[in-house]
Amino acid sequence: MNVELQREHLLDESEWEPSALVMKLASDHTSAVPSLGAERAIHYTEYYKRNTETSAAMTKAGALAWHLQQRTLNIHEDELIVGSHTEHRIGAICHVELAGYAMLEDLFRFEKRKVNPLHVDPAAKRKLMRSVIPYWLTRNLAMKAFPLRERMKYLASQSKAKEFTINEAGGIAHFLPDYGTIITLGTEGLRALIDTRLSDPGLSESQREQLAANLIALGALETFADRYRDLAQEQGRADVVELLTNVPRQPASSLHEAVQMIWFFQMVIQIESIDQGISLGRMDQYLYPLYLREKASGRFDERHFKDVFCAFCLKLSEVIPLFSERITPMFSGLPNGQALTIGGCDSDGNDASNELTFMLLDVLDKFKTRQPNWHARLSSKSRVDYSQRVFEVIAGGGGSPALYNDDVIIPSLASRFDAKQHLWNYATVGCVEPALSGISFSSTDAAIFNYALVLETVLLRDVLKPRSKNAKSICTMDELIGAIESELRCQVGRLKTWLDGIERANKDRHPVPFSSMTVKGCIERARDLTDGGADYNASGIQAVGLADLGNSLAAIDTLVFDSKEMTLETLALACKNNFAQEPSLKARLTAMAKFGNDDARVDNYTGQMVTLFDQVISEKVNTRGGRWMPGVYSMTCHQTMGKQMSALPSGRSKGEPLADGIAPTDGSDCLGPTAALNSVARLDHSRLANGINLNLKFDANTVKGTKGPLLLGGLTKGYFTQGGMQVQINVLDPAVLMAARMTPEKYRNLLVRVSGYSAYFVDLTPEMQDEIIARTRQGAG
Amino acid sequence: MRQLSAPIFDIQRFSIHDGPGIRTLVFFKGCNLHCAWCQNPESQDVEPLVAFYADRCNGSFDCLKACPQDAINRDGFRINHTKCDNCLACVEACSRSALRPIGEHMSPEHLFATLVADLPYYRSSGGGVTFSGGEPTLYPKFIDQMLDLCNDEGIHTAMETCGTYSPDRWAPILKKLDLVYFDLKIIDREQHKAATGRDNSQILANARLLVETGIPVEFRLPLVEGYTDDRENLQDTADFLKALNQNRLHLLSYHNMGETKIDIINGSQNKLGLKTYDATRFAQIREWFTERNIEICDE
Ligand code: SF4
Ligand code: SF4
Repeated sequence: MNVELQREHLLDESEWEPSALVMKLASDHTSAVPSLGAERAIHYTEYYKRNTETSAAMTKAGALAWHLQQRTLNIHEDELIVGSHTEHRIGAICHVELAGYAMLEDLFRFEKRKVNPLHVDPAAKRKLMRSVIPYWLTRNLAMKAFPLRERMKYLASQSKAKEFTINEAGGIAHFLPDYGTIITLGTEGLRALIDTRLSDPGLSESQREQLAANLIALGALETFADRYRDLAQEQGRADVVELLTNVPRQPASSLHEAVQMIWFFQMVIQIESIDQGISLGRMDQYLYPLYLREKASGRFDERHFKDVFCAFCLKLSEVIPLFSERITPMFSGLPNGQALTIGGCDSDGNDASNELTFMLLDVLDKFKTRQPNWHARLSSKSRVDYSQRVFEVIAGGGGSPALYNDDVIIPSLASRFDAKQHLWNYATVGCVEPALSGISFSSTDAAIFNYALVLETVLLRDVLKPRSKNAKSICTMDELIGAIESELRCQVGRLKTWLDGIERANKDRHPVPFSSMTVKGCIERARDLTDGGADYNASGIQAVGLADLGNSLAAIDTLVFDSKEMTLETLALACKNNFAQEPSLKARLTAMAKFGNDDARVDNYTGQMVTLFDQVISEKVNTRGGRWMPGVYSMTCHQTMGKQMSALPSGRSKGEPLADGIAPTDGSDCLGPTAALNSVARLDHSRLANGINLNLKFDANTVKGTKGPLLLGGLTKGYFTQGGMQVQINVLDPAVLMAARMTPEKYRNLLVRVSGYSAYFVDLTPEMQDEIIARTRQGAG
Repeated sequence: MRQLSAPIFDIQRFSIHDGPGIRTLVFFKGCNLHCAWCQNPESQDVEPLVAFYADRCNGSFDCLKACPQDAINRDGFRINHTKCDNCLACVEACSRSALRPIGEHMSPEHLFATLVADLPYYRSSGGGVTFSGGEPTLYPKFIDQMLDLCNDEGIHTAMETCGTYSPDRWAPILKKLDLVYFDLKIIDREQHKAATGRDNSQILANARLLVETGIPVEFRLPLVEGYTDDRENLQDTADFLKALNQNRLHLLSYHNMGETKIDIINGSQNKLGLKTYDATRFAQIREWFTERNIEICDE
């Protein structure tokens, strides 16, 4: 059934501006000092010290309850949504028993570090030093996951994260709570479900314990909410008292209540485990019934709703990840990955955009915040006015929303999960990962794998230092790909051993009794999310350096196997020496055909690497019974991993970054965005069910005016019809152009508008570049 | 029989200012006008040539060793264009990308293969292909074939011309185009000749004929200080359009990027030393036309 979309009664896009109250909230938000949320670490430590004998689930639930009972609370002036993750307005939660311990290595540096400094309260610092750190020294997750020798290897490997980085070692995260159901149940509804399960005489002891832990965790949230209501009462905030009368216990009776309820759950999930990729799902869809009810009763106030949503976006931006300086380069830009999905289809496959979709787009358009990660679903059936509005918002700058192609994603998920009736309702998790809403634990960001390193290992070890005399030398392209495959299997095997260990440690020591109630299946099975409680399970493994591999294979094929100009040994040696003796070889390699220029030969090599990765990854099954799913994105790991690698036959020098996500190597696509998109679309995205990341950059002048959204829309649709799965379009501000001026080689693909036509920024004279920068400054305001 | 081909000096994909939607812009090499302000000096000559970027050269003379024609100069501009036969051995030998070929003879099929690669984007954006130059009308047979190929695929086509073509030869070809961009430069005959080296009577006659035959046409006027922007020329242009019942005009502003390109090809064009066209003056001219009920389309 098509939604009867009536926009006539809504405000015109241009009519609405965030209210003065919300703008004030935003400025208060900006002036708050980012601080370390030490209380969680302190309270959890207190609890753990006292309680050693109960089960892990009970301990975790008890610690959560203990913490939420005494966490310092604040309600800030004029807040429309209340509650904070930490005792500070802008805070980094310290999950001390998980990765938070390792992050404390920066305790004396948090304030002084250049990137993302964090204030630490002196009294809290003393407590952390005296009683928290010593306790966890031998008790944190990594310590408990492996026997000593393995542990040392694991720690050494992960401190560099050259081969791969296991994100699940930070605790479990990256899933989609079933908020659509939660707002219709309230905590009492959830309690009723648990009670019903508890009455089943067939439950095992551990199942009973799990459900008991669920109940404690549920009570913890209620206490937390009650304390906020009491505080509101004390402060004379009648509006807040009223807001908290119904929720979180009862089903939400208004949109405002629903958003507040979601916010309570979102906070507690992120406090319980780690604040990474806890995603909001399809908010325009699951809030729609409440909207219809408000509208029918004449209570709906569009301006108020939009203000509430702005306030919610600010709340989502209050939490910042606790990363040490060592970790930041891998994930820079303070990502929390709270994805919010809009648009998409209904269960019949028809476009499901509704009035809320448009209202949320207005919020995004006028009120840009660091979080959430906005994602819009599109398909060949999308309503024209919906996709038009999406591209208008993108053309306005800020890189949001990122775009997802239902026509690729739904079939791709269908090939992975036996879940036909749920596929239409997928949403995104974290940065780019599609997953089944509210019923799955896909741990979509379980690990990021350095795929390019596999080739490096083959070249530097198998080719240059064969382990045995009769090791077969590599004489054909097929043999080379065979060698890559066996090395890939070997490295993936190592990843599997460790990831399994981490998964088991999470299950045994860090179950998530609270989060488990928010995903369908866990209560029914009376099993934790970490223990395969969800209806559907998976682990997402991302490849890094795909374009580097494709480019390298094409170069090797040309020089070694085709023209036989040099041997593989010679080429490998040149890479090992970082082309020190052969600068002209480097120039030659750099000038050779590259992925991203619509060159079928290179693209097909890149595609072969996609197929291989999918085959090797998808064979594996995690400890929760879910298959591994391949994806191609890199956060900022392409830089940290690239930094530790030797030169490659693609002409990439030692230490240079690898390609970002599925994109061509920086500056190697020289024929413009259509050619680059054709190359990317030539890969089989349906194999990459865990998602891909493709960033496109445009200068603001290229897409200004009424033509801009049409062009971006045309480009995206042309790419999507060819099988593209995802794209994020960045409309650039002058600062980026300045950077392009300093290091033009990194911005080869940056198109700018000159007069009457577009040009590559790097092809312009310095004076012309300055002129463009000056102009963009005016144009982009 | 020699295979049909034309010299192409650039193909710009994702071109968004030369017609509707996302387009591929094909630049033909060779021109029969010599405008004093030419912004694509490398396109004037029909023959492909090797350009030299002196600032990238490190004096290694790998090019010299590679050249079979002894066409590499040790001093000054690196390529001796009279001796060079365009084998491009030097381009490949140069590790600094200081040498770059400009222009390549392409067959219609070869060119079409590149154009059709962006078909999904033409379709999704209402775009297509625009032939530009140089002067594309130097290649009637080639363009005729390209148009047949494009029309078979339903690709929208446009051509930019300075109007110096034979009306009889072009009548059947023009009909196959969806849109013509027609450059009016200077209406006064003498001044036109002085600035471009050629009389404009055929150009103006062709413009009239286009309108009469009902081929969709957009007129354009490049604004070059001291050449095309004096009051008389603006008035003449307005009158000319009015006489044809045309009430739209595209204004293009001069930019001086062409001048840096004179050096890389060792061209003989005089540098005008003009700055990029003044934005205030541009706005005034736009206003002037608008007051005369001529709608200005600018990018
Ligand atoms: S090979 Fe290139 S860098 Fe060397 S002299 Fe010739 S043009 Fe200059
Ligand atoms: S193109 Fe060939 S003939 Fe011309 S200068 Fe280069 S090497 Fe010599």
